[in-house]
Amino acid sequence: MSIWSQPPGSLILDPTPTMENYVRIAGDGYYIRGLLRTLWLSLSTTAIAALLALPLSWWIVLRAGRFRGLMLTLVLIPMVCGALLPTLGLMNLLGPLGVINGTLKSLGLIDRSWKMLGNQTGILIGLVHAFLPLMVLPLVSALDRLPADVESAAMSLGANRRKVWRRVILPLAAPGLIAGSALVFCAALTSFVTPLILGQGKVATFATMAYQQASLVLDWPFASALAVVMLVILALIGAGAWGAQRWAADTP
Amino acid sequence: MKLKTILWAALTFAVLLYLIAPIAVLIFSAFDDGKFFRFPPRELSLRWFRAALDSSEYRSALVNSTIIACLASVLSVTFGMMAALGLTRGGLRSRPAIEILLLAPLTLPLVVWAIALIQIYARLGLSGSFWGLLLAHTIIILPLSVRILMATLSNIDPNLEDAARSLGARPMRAFARTTLPLAMPGVLTSAAFGFLISFNDVVVTTFIAGASWMTFPVRMYSQLRGQGVDPITLAIGAMIVALTLVIVALGEARFKWSRRI
Repeated sequence: MSIWSQPPGSLILDPTPTMENYVRIAGDGYYIRGLLRTLWLSLSTTAIAALLALPLSWWIVLRAGRFRGLMLTLVLIPMVCGALLPTLGLMNLLGPLGVINGTLKSLGLIDRSWKMLGNQTGILIGLVHAFLPLMVLPLVSALDRLPADVESAAMSLGANRRKVWRRVILPLAAPGLIAGSALVFCAALTSFVTPLILGQGKVATFATMAYQQASLVLDWPFASALAVVMLVILALIGAGAWGAQRWAADTP
Repeated sequence: MKLKTILWAALTFAVLLYLIAPIAVLIFSAFDDGKFFRFPPRELSLRWFRAALDSSEYRSALVNSTIIACLASVLSVTFGMMAALGLTRGGLRSRPAIEILLLAPLTLPLVVWAIALIQIYARLGLSGSFWGLLLAHTIIILPLSVRILMATLSNIDPNLEDAARSLGARPMRAFARTTLPLAMPGVLTSAAFGFLISFNDVVVTTFIAGASWMTFPVRMYSQLRGQGVDPITLAIGAMIVALTLVIVALGEARFKWSRRI
């Protein structure tokens, strides 16, 4: 339906095929800027999630032992609670009267609230929180395939710690890292509840624009066009991840 | 070497803390007495929990959510079981195609799907109705059910069922007495996950829910967008999260959930 159009001020659809909606996306700086902002946010989310997930997954697989189940349960929590409840907690954590600002203030470290809601910082914190499990779970299953003593084996052959990471652990974890990155990027790109609430309507991302068009403006053809743009980006990411997996499998 | 290990541990626990902090704050802030949450809190009370139990508006939203989540998870486990049986046992030649078709929605983002769905529902006249919501929720969780049940069934020996039938059991009875009990952990896992996902879904439901069938997350979401945090929603949210935690902890302890999904 993205190639249909809706005459202004009416809810009746005109089913003649037209590229008007796509021209509007490409021609209007608002949507292009929104798209770039969304891509940037998703990319940062992916990078931060990877940085946080690597040590955590490594610890869960090789060091946690008895506590493995408990730790994996903790990782699963943001996934099963849905998008909304953790976001509600984050609002109280990050708000001007929230836990972080309250603590910093009573310790005397800051005297004016550090603003984390209504801007990209808050959204980024929320997105990383929501989608970290998508990075941890593939990484854990990739690292699980490592023999338990791979680290000591490599070190007994004379490799130092950094070399073990670069030459042994990272290449073996690469499939999990690639899969996790693709999942997190796509999830962050299409999430709209987190940006809408933590951004307090002040930061428009591509998915929140699509939501507004579909639910509030009721311009469904235009919303569909925005959704198709997202799908195309996802398809590109999917193809890229597939290519990267092949490349990682071929490189010893 | 020793110091590095400690640093690693500290980093790991910082990440875990980041994962649970919002949930912990949510539960904690529900006990705050004031109308607006502030930290450090002035006084703790159960006031908002009492208000939550008294509010008929929220009660009806919670009942709606529960009904839809229960029915959707039963339906998706039933259809998911049929699909998984056919795919793992049926010897179909079209198996890969059907499998991809059934599992594909797992990778399709919900927003995109929801935008398509409101348009289809508007034409069918299903928008805002109970059946529309139930259908949508069943479809959201069906791929997950199929995936969990297929993994479960592929670990169960199909010869057991044949043996039961060679001893004279009818097909249904043979299935109910051999395969089904063995598949029970998978069935329960998929039912519980389906319930939680449907109960907590806000993305698809905000698009299609109407005023007559409002689920709790949607009510909370419109509240949040309109007036900000309402302490009553915090109290209900805290109870839902606590319940979710109990279910997940039991599931992990009993059925090793983290390995099944």
